[in-house]
Amino acid sequence: MKNKLILWLLVVLLLVVVAIMAKDLFVSQNKPQENVYEYDLKELRKVDSSKISHKEVKQIKIQANELHGIAVDGKDQIYVTTDENILVLDSDGKQINSLKMKGNARCLTVAENGNILVGLGNRVDIRKPDGSFRNSFIVAGEKAFITSIAIDGDNVYVADAGQKIVHHYNIEGEKINEIGGKNPEAGIKGFVIPSPYFDLLMGRQGELWVVNPGRHAFEAYNSSGVQISSWERTSMSLDGFSGCCNPSNAAMLSDGSFVTAEKGLERVKIHLPSGDFKSVVAAPELFEIGTVGIDLAVDSKDRILVLDPVQKMIRIFEAK
Amino acid sequence: MKKSLAFISLLIFFVGMEFAAFSQQQRFPKPEFESGYAQPVTSMPVPRDGMFALLDVLVLIAVLSLITWFILKKRSRTGVVAVSIFSILYFGFFREGCVCSVGSVQNVVLALFNPGYHIPLSALAFFVIPLAYTLFFGRTFCAGVCPLGAVQDVFLMRPVTLKKWLQKALGLIPFIYLGLSVLYAATATDFIICRYDPFVGIFRFNATFFMFAIGAAFLLISIFIARPYCRFFCPYGVLLNLVSRVSKNHLTITPSNCIQCKLCENSCPLDAINKPVVVKQMEDKRSATRRFILLSLIIPALMIVGGWTGANFHENLAKVNSKVRLADEMLHFDSKTMKESLEIEGFRTSGKPVEQLYLEAAEIVKQFYYGGWILGAFIGLVIGLALSGLSRYQYREDYSPDKGACVSCARCLKYCPVEK
Repeated sequence: MKNKLILWLLVVLLLVVVAIMAKDLFVSQNKPQENVYEYDLKELRKVDSSKISHKEVKQIKIQANELHGIAVDGKDQIYVTTDENILVLDSDGKQINSLKMKGNARCLTVAENGNILVGLGNRVDIRKPDGSFRNSFIVAGEKAFITSIAIDGDNVYVADAGQKIVHHYNIEGEKINEIGGKNPEAGIKGFVIPSPYFDLLMGRQGELWVVNPGRHAFEAYNSSGVQISSWERTSMSLDGFSGCCNPSNAAMLSDGSFVTAEKGLERVKIHLPSGDFKSVVAAPELFEIGTVGIDLAVDSKDRILVLDPVQKMIRIFEAK
Repeated sequence: MKKSLAFISLLIFFVGMEFAAFSQQQRFPKPEFESGYAQPVTSMPVPRDGMFALLDVLVLIAVLSLITWFILKKRSRTGVVAVSIFSILYFGFFREGCVCSVGSVQNVVLALFNPGYHIPLSALAFFVIPLAYTLFFGRTFCAGVCPLGAVQDVFLMRPVTLKKWLQKALGLIPFIYLGLSVLYAATATDFIICRYDPFVGIFRFNATFFMFAIGAAFLLISIFIARPYCRFFCPYGVLLNLVSRVSKNHLTITPSNCIQCKLCENSCPLDAINKPVVVKQMEDKRSATRRFILLSLIIPALMIVGGWTGANFHENLAKVNSKVRLADEMLHFDSKTMKESLEIEGFRTSGKPVEQLYLEAAEIVKQFYYGGWILGAFIGLVIGLALSGLSRYQYREDYSPDKGACVSCARCLKYCPVEK
């Protein structure tokens, strides 16, 4: 019985040797002509676990058809725009308020004084901290499409993806300036925005950071509209951004590091103030493939709030 | 027997002397590449000059004569083992497995089909001499002169017998391997016997992992199944098997008359001892005629089916040819999306027009079309003959070696109690 088993194992081994030799002879081993430009994201979706600096600590489900934007105020209250209203939640995710909106609120930000600025198409609505209406203004231009708002004192900065420009208003809606328009003489290349994801945020020194997604870049401007700094990282791997236009959204940590969200390769990362890659907050495996419009906010404890519009929830990440 | 042994030795010696000078003309200068390409060092043993090549041939003759004497005259298994060890050391490790009779089949075929190729004397000698000895004395070359067989024989520790049908089925592999080797040598494509020689990498201490794994697998199998490479792979063994069937002075198990003691019955690890067959009633004429007609139809039908199949696969067979493979790569190469392989880069720098490459490749593919027909028909013939062999009746009174399959290892001799 034992001999029989050995015999059959050896015969199988012999046949395996024949098969290996035949394969080696007839099947070309090297693949010299593989498509080196093949767009295969499978490998890029894999993230080394040692690069992940945060863990997901909470998920807050939101009942809404569509989720668009997220912001956090000084008290760590969470504001989420949906296709119908703005939901106000406490830091534990309990709903405090719901503000009915006239139109599809695409983005929002909360001022230090608690005023809520909401972007709806080509209109900016400003609500008082209690939710009552304060004032509203229209961004001129047929193609105007507001994707992000930032506020610094009385200065309101509006990212207009349709016209590929940042508008500088005061709180009353009076236009002060336009920022980031193409100006070769001043060395400003202009914003490249192939898709409606164009984010901006206020830096720690009051500088305005604008994402230039087509260039995979962040550009800093002063209140006069002069570019004072920039960095760009184009890379298919973790250390940069890829595709037509990334990052799609951004936020800033208390140390000045950038939190970035990407589409195509759905992931959330942290880049140092210099622009160098620091770590991964959320790897692509946490998101459904094809998720776009992942918005970000950072609270006073440097917790990162990630709005997942496909799984319809706020995902809260804390440093490990 | 002494006379014929001496005659063959002398004949080979003188023919060898004549070809010694001729073999010196094979060398030519290496091409110089304008692109700065540096030729890699080929992992081959240093070529032997005339005298040493002749020495190899003389050693072959001497060792063959010695082992033949040990087997047929001294009937000594110990002598066979001693010669086996010498062969492993000399032809295996010292001569690094080259030149070898198994691979020399390809040199002969290449010389026959390519007038521009001059076969080295030693390769020709290593092809002819074992065949000549086999014709007279059986496969004494396999017994212990061939280092490939000898190294497997040394590893045989616990022999187990394979079922007859399995032996028959696996026994078809060497014919297919021989057919492929001839096809690829005739088309100057590759020497696949050398490429897949399982032990040469071990002899040279430079085996790639792939070849080492194959060699190790064969040695592992050799512990239980006697000489797996010789029996189920060796293309030269096919020729020796056929020639040995008509050998004049083949080894006999008993030195005198067989007393049918059955002691030798299970002594052969290769299962190459034919047992006595009881007298069977004569097959009637009608049945014999019907069998003959059936076989006459089946064998040509198998040859046609095999030939047709081989011809249909000729493009796959041809892709082993480097020129055909390059032409295929060039045809499907898209510079916008593909990275240029080294072969394509090399071809481009040669300045040769691609159309010429295509024409040459097409000519080779055509050769493979005809080669595919011949190879397929040959395999069909082998299968047909194997089938007909199963229905053939042979009358035997004594225990006798199967002249084709027996490698004259002399293991059975010590089991026979009969003295001269």
